[in-house]
Amino acid sequence: MADLSNRRWYSGMLTQEDWWAVWLGVGFFFISLFNLAGVDLVGWITYPTKWVLYPPEGGKGAVSHAFYALGKKYSVTAKGFYKGLGWWSVLWTYVVFTIATCIGAAFMRWNLKRFFTGWTIIYFLTIATWFVGHHAFIAANKINMKQYGLNFALSLGGGGSFILALIVGLIIGNFFKPFANYLSEAAKPEWYIKTAIVTLGVKLGYLPIKLSGFSHKLGKEAASLTFDLFVAGAAATIVAYLIFWPGVYVISRKLFKLPRKTAAVLGSGISICGVSAAVATGGAVRAKPVVSIMVSALVVVWAVIELVILPGFFTHVWPGTNDPLVAGAAMGMSVKTDGADAAAGELMDEFMRNKIESETDGAVIWPSGIITASAVMTKVWIDMFIGIWAFVLALVWVYKFERRAGEKVPVSEVWHRFPKFVIGYFFCWFFLLALYFGPGQSGAVEAMPFLKSVKAGAVPIEKGMRKLFFMLTFLSLGIITDFKKLKEAQFGKMVWVYFVALFFFIIPVAIVIAYLFHHGMQIPNIAGFVQ
Amino acid sequence: MNMELLIWHDGSNWVVKNERLTLSAPTLEELDVEVERFLRGSGMLREGETAEVFMTFDNSTIPQWIRQYAQHYFNRVLEVRG
Repeated sequence: MADLSNRRWYSGMLTQEDWWAVWLGVGFFFISLFNLAGVDLVGWITYPTKWVLYPPEGGKGAVSHAFYALGKKYSVTAKGFYKGLGWWSVLWTYVVFTIATCIGAAFMRWNLKRFFTGWTIIYFLTIATWFVGHHAFIAANKINMKQYGLNFALSLGGGGSFILALIVGLIIGNFFKPFANYLSEAAKPEWYIKTAIVTLGVKLGYLPIKLSGFSHKLGKEAASLTFDLFVAGAAATIVAYLIFWPGVYVISRKLFKLPRKTAAVLGSGISICGVSAAVATGGAVRAKPVVSIMVSALVVVWAVIELVILPGFFTHVWPGTNDPLVAGAAMGMSVKTDGADAAAGELMDEFMRNKIESETDGAVIWPSGIITASAVMTKVWIDMFIGIWAFVLALVWVYKFERRAGEKVPVSEVWHRFPKFVIGYFFCWFFLLALYFGPGQSGAVEAMPFLKSVKAGAVPIEKGMRKLFFMLTFLSLGIITDFKKLKEAQFGKMVWVYFVALFFFIIPVAIVIAYLFHHGMQIPNIAGFVQ
Repeated sequence: MNMELLIWHDGSNWVVKNERLTLSAPTLEELDVEVERFLRGSGMLREGETAEVFMTFDNSTIPQWIRQYAQHYFNRVLEVRG
């Protein structure tokens, strides 16, 4: 059956993943706002905590508390009820998100039975890896390991769970291919990450509210920092565009002698935003779809390689904890799919926060999510520019290189290529900022009861739902990544263009641009308030 | 007059289709010529008139694993003068 989801400006609203990321993210965000009326409908969302098999006397880490409902800590109106859920919150979360995602899958006309079974397997594998990854040996650091009776811990924070999820996914994707194929109906890293990015909007809007709970000044600093990231991300992205695309195009044409259309598609895939840019450019230059498909397959595999290498490199080699937001922005400009980028940003967020806390013996503690936000911010700007860039390319191609009498490029192309999940991301962010600056009185003491109700709703979304969807992304990314694809002969030169352009051009230039626009930005230190 | 067509690439040809016609050609230039020929030959386009042909890409021809990353290939508009 033909898919005409881009026939009209509104025709894909119920049939595209991009839109369903908005409906899921914004939908649960709105449900969370019932807290303002005294009804907590999201406190059941599950969250893991560090555990050990034999907790020391008077210490922490009982397995029975390894998962809890976030309402137990944050609910204003139903703390008692959510306290009783414990591990059952895993099932509550499964049931509610299964219903929500299955509704989306049904509208998108996927095979519902396969999606349901695939989703169920992926969800419980995710929970299992989340649980194992929170063993205190993996997740604790030298500041808190004694509480779990340990003398040594890997200090990976939540990052250990992400790595485990990716490894489990890659094992399935590369060694159990029939199983991976079966799961593919529900292994949708881009859907999960776009949903997570919408909830990251909740995180950004909630940040000033959270920090104003510590001090009025910190709240304002956080609001100001998110605006700085917003502006610096846009500026860095524009500069990157002007350098990346022509650079990779020239490398492809002059160094590797690729045909013009292939060079253009590859140029966008490597330099802008991976698959979406490759497909957008393929369409813009009227290339046969197979060119975009080949480039896309390359992008997906290379993005996972970057996800494995860059968070550790940026954390432990350069720029490290001196310039965490430079690292985040550089990540956003270097990793070429939304899923791998946001996942890499989140992983680096965990690494950096644990590193700084350990290095300073707990004197510096950063709130979670800001480094992730810096990685996602540049990527979101890049995503938004894809439509405009593809439109410009289409004009150049249709009116100059391959002039065809009578052909016009419809302006609606810009909209069709616009990443719709970005609408949800900005909506949630600005909605919460409006609450903070409006009835929240920028964190004034008399507005604290109001802000506490906002917090009770926001935390399960920005913490529980966001992390869960990140975990689903890591696992799904692994499942759909088949490294054998790099070996396939028909890619030939393209693999090498990608390698040379990425490691000798894109990543170094991204670091320089990120440094120019983000150097010196400071993450607020909350050590004095959380200990 | 306005006409809407569905467009896709079948591996070797670009194909356009609606309830009245199915045309194909190896390149878009040749496809446009075919469309012009059909409009004139069928009497749908009279001398002095201009027809606007809107071609919507059939996304179902893009592999499903890619559609989660990018959900639009292209739509085209072709203006044909009679």
